Amino acid sequence: MTLYAFYFISFLAVLSALMVVFSRNPIHSVLYLVITFFCVACHYLLLNAQFLAAVHVIVYAGAIMVLFLYVIMLLNLNKDDESQKSNLWKAGAVITSGLLLVVFVGALRGAEAESVSFASSNNTGLVKNLGRLLFNEFLLPFEIVSILLLAAMVGAVMLGKTHMKRAKEIAHEKNGRGSVASARGIGNIKELTK
Amino acid sequence: MNAVYILSGLGIFSLLAEIFSFRKILFPIVLLGLLATAGLLVMDWNTGTSHFSNMLTFDNYAIAFSAGIAVIAFLWFLMSRDYFENNTHVTDHFALVLFSLVGAVFMVSYSNLAMLFLGIEILSISLYIMAGSKMTDLFSNEASFKYFLMGSFATGFLLFGIALVYGVTGSFDLGKINQVITAGSTEFSALLYAGVLLMMVGLAFKISAVPFHFWAPDVYEGSPTVVTAFMSTIVKIAAFAGFFRLFATCFASVSGEWVNVVQVIAVLTLVVSNITAVYQNSVKRMLAFSSIAHAGYLLITLVALNEISASAILYYVLAYAAASLAAFAVLHNVAFENENASAESFNGLSKRNPFHAFAMTVALLSLAGIPPLAGFFAKYYIFTVAFESGYVGIVLLAVVTSLIGIYYYFRIIIAMYLKAPETTTPVAVTTMHNVMLVICLLSTIILGLFPDMIIKLI
Repeated sequence: MTLYAFYFISFLAVLSALMVVFSRNPIHSVLYLVITFFCVACHYLLLNAQFLAAVHVIVYAGAIMVLFLYVIMLLNLNKDDESQKSNLWKAGAVITSGLLLVVFVGALRGAEAESVSFASSNNTGLVKNLGRLLFNEFLLPFEIVSILLLAAMVGAVMLGKTHMKRAKEIAHEKNGRGSVASARGIGNIKELTK
Repeated sequence: MNAVYILSGLGIFSLLAEIFSFRKILFPIVLLGLLATAGLLVMDWNTGTSHFSNMLTFDNYAIAFSAGIAVIAFLWFLMSRDYFENNTHVTDHFALVLFSLVGAVFMVSYSNLAMLFLGIEILSISLYIMAGSKMTDLFSNEASFKYFLMGSFATGFLLFGIALVYGVTGSFDLGKINQVITAGSTEFSALLYAGVLLMMVGLAFKISAVPFHFWAPDVYEGSPTVVTAFMSTIVKIAAFAGFFRLFATCFASVSGEWVNVVQVIAVLTLVVSNITAVYQNSVKRMLAFSSIAHAGYLLITLVALNEISASAILYYVLAYAAASLAAFAVLHNVAFENENASAESFNGLSKRNPFHAFAMTVALLSLAGIPPLAGFFAKYYIFTVAFESGYVGIVLLAVVTSLIGIYYYFRIIIAMYLKAPETTTPVAVTTMHNVMLVICLLSTIILGLFPDMIIKLI
């Protein structure tokens, strides 16, 4: 039963991942990506990792996907804007990625012969065990992630601050008085980068 | 471990400095902190302790490289002060740099793959932002974005590799992985080799070795000169030390599977980067290609792995960093307004600022590998390592590419001494820069005269 569930979910995951790449409409791509994420979450469930499955759905399907949709909405992607690559480029890309595929198929062929057995029980993936692992063995990585997040946050604020200052300057130049409101929106990015 | 505490503490302190208006004293405190970091690291010499259930191991290799990174960062702060003073977000920049140093220390001292990944990410994310710190410059924006995309792509490869290696060995711990690999029969799952190769691809992106170098020239050229100096010294050292630590210790017993790949990468790196550098007009771009070329020389030690490889690498990166920082400092002053100065802007520098011209000459000669200077012995030791392991062909090739290197380095030296200057206005410099250049020059010369100081260290 579990095996069939695994095959079905894997099939769905691969299919929707392919659809992400092949769909023309970026919104459709994003929606297919949501399905892919849900399939991965189901895989976590099959592995007895309920907590990870829940987090995966909340963070990826929830937060990150909304972000994606927002970005697509803001960028206003049209088909006319799509850059057309020449056939030579396309052929080159097909050959290189085909080679990578060959390498992977070659590497993974026969890999199923060896099964690595890990000591696992029914409650491997429960929050309690996960927490115990995080706060004992993996304490340092867990804490150090805060530095990573802090650096990213500082960077985001820094880049944002500069933009706001420059936007104010542009607004000043434009109408002589400092109305930030006139320096809003995507249309001004060209001026900002001057 | 104290190094990590001090560096992260300094980073958080510089963020708080904005609130409490400590800005004036921030710079000396950061400098002192970096020296203290180096000092505390050296005090742990020969102890080889591991921390936090074997996440980080400060053995002599890690201590030597971390202390080296702290000292180079010290010099870099001296060089970059005036750039940041003109910048309103000086505290944010300092914090980012210090956080990236934390990442660099992780990358040279990890003994768990999770720490390698975190170190690379901390270093890279800070750098993506620093590369784009000139918000109004389109090239800087491009550099930042390109670096971000390529870096994320490389991280994907690295993670995939780590996952496959975990799948085979069941552990992230370098020691345990090594145990499983050595204990296992010769019939190892192909998954392991795929994992090793994917990790190699991810790390080769970070050291910008040749098939994975496409991002480097554009990113180095577009970023502000001081950030480029940071990338081509500290980032390169950390990435290569991490690369070497992984492959020389953890995967050494399956070296038959990856050594040929590294050999091809090394040869391509040497040939392509040196020949492309000849055709560059922009000095910054030329230095970018020269930094790719130096990654090629370093990779030779990994091909010809033996017991003096680690010391040869340490000596090489220190010699390279001293010369490279000096060259970038001079470039920063000469090309004050125009970031992409060509060799012509160095015309007659010997008349406009004789000391700068001299410093640039010594730095370039060291990079080219001319005898009394550190760069020569650095190359010499690497060639010795390769020679002892029987890689004569690759040594011959490396000698030829060094000769090509001399050509493009000398073009700038000739421009400085033999060509007439376009303007006679002297190049304005700060005392800080002169101090930093003197330190770099002295260390280049002293390392060259007494190579034994470093070479028997690890």
